[in-house]
Amino acid sequence: MEISSWWIDFILASIRGATPLIYCALGVLIAEEVGVIYIGVEGVMLVGALAGILGVIFGGNLWAGLFLTLVAGVLCGFFLSFFLIWLPIDQVAAGIVFNLTALGFTSYIFRLCGAQAQKIVPTMKPLFLKISSFGVMAFIMVFFTWWFLFKTASGLKIRSIGENMHAAESMGIDIIKVRTVVFIIACVFSAFGGAALTLGWVRVFADNITMGRGFIALAAVYFAKWNPLFVLIGTLIFGAGEVLAFRSQATMSSINQYYFFMLPYALTILVIGLRGKSRGPAETGKSYIRR
Amino acid sequence: MEVNLVIKTEKSTKLIDWLWKSKFSISALSLLISLIVLVVMSLLYGANPKQVLISLFQGALGSRKSIIFTLLQTAPLILTGLAVLLPYKAGFFNVGGQGQLEIGAIAAIFVATNYHSHIPIVIIVASLLASMVGGIIAVLIPLFLKVKHEVNEVTTTIMMNYICINLVYAMITGVMKDPKAFYGTTRVVPEVFRLPEFLGVHVGVWLAVVIALITSWFVKYLVWGMKLKAVGINRVAALTVGISCNKILIDSVIFAAAIAGLAGGIQVLGVTYRFAEGCELPWGFSGICIAFLGGNPLGVIPVAFILAILETGSRYMQSMTGVPSAMVNIMQGIPVLLFLYLNVWLAPKLKSKIK
Repeated sequence: MEISSWWIDFILASIRGATPLIYCALGVLIAEEVGVIYIGVEGVMLVGALAGILGVIFGGNLWAGLFLTLVAGVLCGFFLSFFLIWLPIDQVAAGIVFNLTALGFTSYIFRLCGAQAQKIVPTMKPLFLKISSFGVMAFIMVFFTWWFLFKTASGLKIRSIGENMHAAESMGIDIIKVRTVVFIIACVFSAFGGAALTLGWVRVFADNITMGRGFIALAAVYFAKWNPLFVLIGTLIFGAGEVLAFRSQATMSSINQYYFFMLPYALTILVIGLRGKSRGPAETGKSYIRR
Repeated sequence: MEVNLVIKTEKSTKLIDWLWKSKFSISALSLLISLIVLVVMSLLYGANPKQVLISLFQGALGSRKSIIFTLLQTAPLILTGLAVLLPYKAGFFNVGGQGQLEIGAIAAIFVATNYHSHIPIVIIVASLLASMVGGIIAVLIPLFLKVKHEVNEVTTTIMMNYICINLVYAMITGVMKDPKAFYGTTRVVPEVFRLPEFLGVHVGVWLAVVIALITSWFVKYLVWGMKLKAVGINRVAALTVGISCNKILIDSVIFAAAIAGLAGGIQVLGVTYRFAEGCELPWGFSGICIAFLGGNPLGVIPVAFILAILETGSRYMQSMTGVPSAMVNIMQGIPVLLFLYLNVWLAPKLKSKIK
């Protein structure tokens, strides 16, 4: 009896931990399918996390928080697509530097808002089988993304941009426009991932609260070989790793706590290493320059 | 007569070209614009921008003590900047500087607190070597995965960062903990084994500058440096000529990780003399910004100095005007974004292709 309830608890906690990762991983996936290496996901997640908390605290209710997250995601999308899509620069470098800038920016805005912003946000009511609304939405979005990318004509066009830009261009697809639109959607996803972290789970904001989760989501996409359904499995594994890290601390307190904090990150490297070379969309990362 | 005029115009065009389009001026312009960003953001905060700027520079260069502190910050920044710059040219984006730095620091402390010798310099050199080895160990897994399995090194090195940070904390609260201390910290490095001072700052600062100079000379004048340049410009062409790109990559990554570890080593042997919980060594990510703004090993030195000014001055700025010192991260990131943008804008061929 007790064992099974521990397992159910563990699975629920893993889902809760995996939910922010699912959103971010979906964002990374669609960005890469359209040809943009989305290293900036960590920064956008952080901005979304802050926006969610600020929206709820200053707006009063959950919808204000979600709306502010949406706005933040769109703004980040425009800002990043300027550097990643409209200019032919190294997308990896721009992404990493964006993460650093976002870290400073969110810390700055957080302090600008004063003591109010440090309140703990009320818990969201669970929606379905003790899974929060964020979690349910995440599951729905995974299947929707899979269906859209692989079963519709628009999805095929999107994927074709990632595979061969110039072939897609010859079909009449406006590369820059489609990339921008899809990338902004990806940023909105990542922003919601951040909101899922702060509004749905931790309920408060702190400096660098994402702690590398955006990168774990990136790894989950590599693990899943760019298939949304496998992304679900990957993020659940990583979410479980994080939960294990917290729980083992309680049960096996003789071992130093920091070894457990290493768990999610070590698990990520192990998983990527074992998976080996992942073939993503062929032309991810190549800037689009008209010939 | 006419010929003289033509030569004169050519010369002045060259100067203007260099002023506008050289990487140096673009970096300088980016940094200046970031100062403007600082002004704007401090206005948002409600502070007086003139006071903000003055306190920033006063905090960094106002007194002899603060200049020394700024120089002390410059040393690890130079080294982490080099640690990102060199492998980047070979095709490996080394984001793991932070982790390598921390492992290097803990390795140096381990040697300095556990071994004894009558000749201090033996231990000092051994500790610095240990820090280099520590940095190399921290990069081995990402390097192996990259070379053998072509796994993207950005994710792996970032994961290693978090693993290293937690591993180091586990060490300082567990195995390497000072039995006399209440909180997590290692034992203090004995005075004889600390880095000696030269002209007011510890030897590590001069070591960092010397390493940057030697690296610049390496890249410019040695065959290895030319191969590195070739790989960076066009990997396929280099392969065709017979340059072993993998070997160049491995060499540069090991060198970079060693330098990053050394950055940690000189910091613990020269400034903090211990590694404590909450000890902040945030130079890993700044190294990325320095690498991009610097462009080549020589350029890393002034850029590192400027970023050190920002970091040192920001604390004084916060205490004087209230503008949060987290601004410093924005001021490191924005110039690089600007630099990347301006680089494209001022390169005419690419510009015409975007239009």
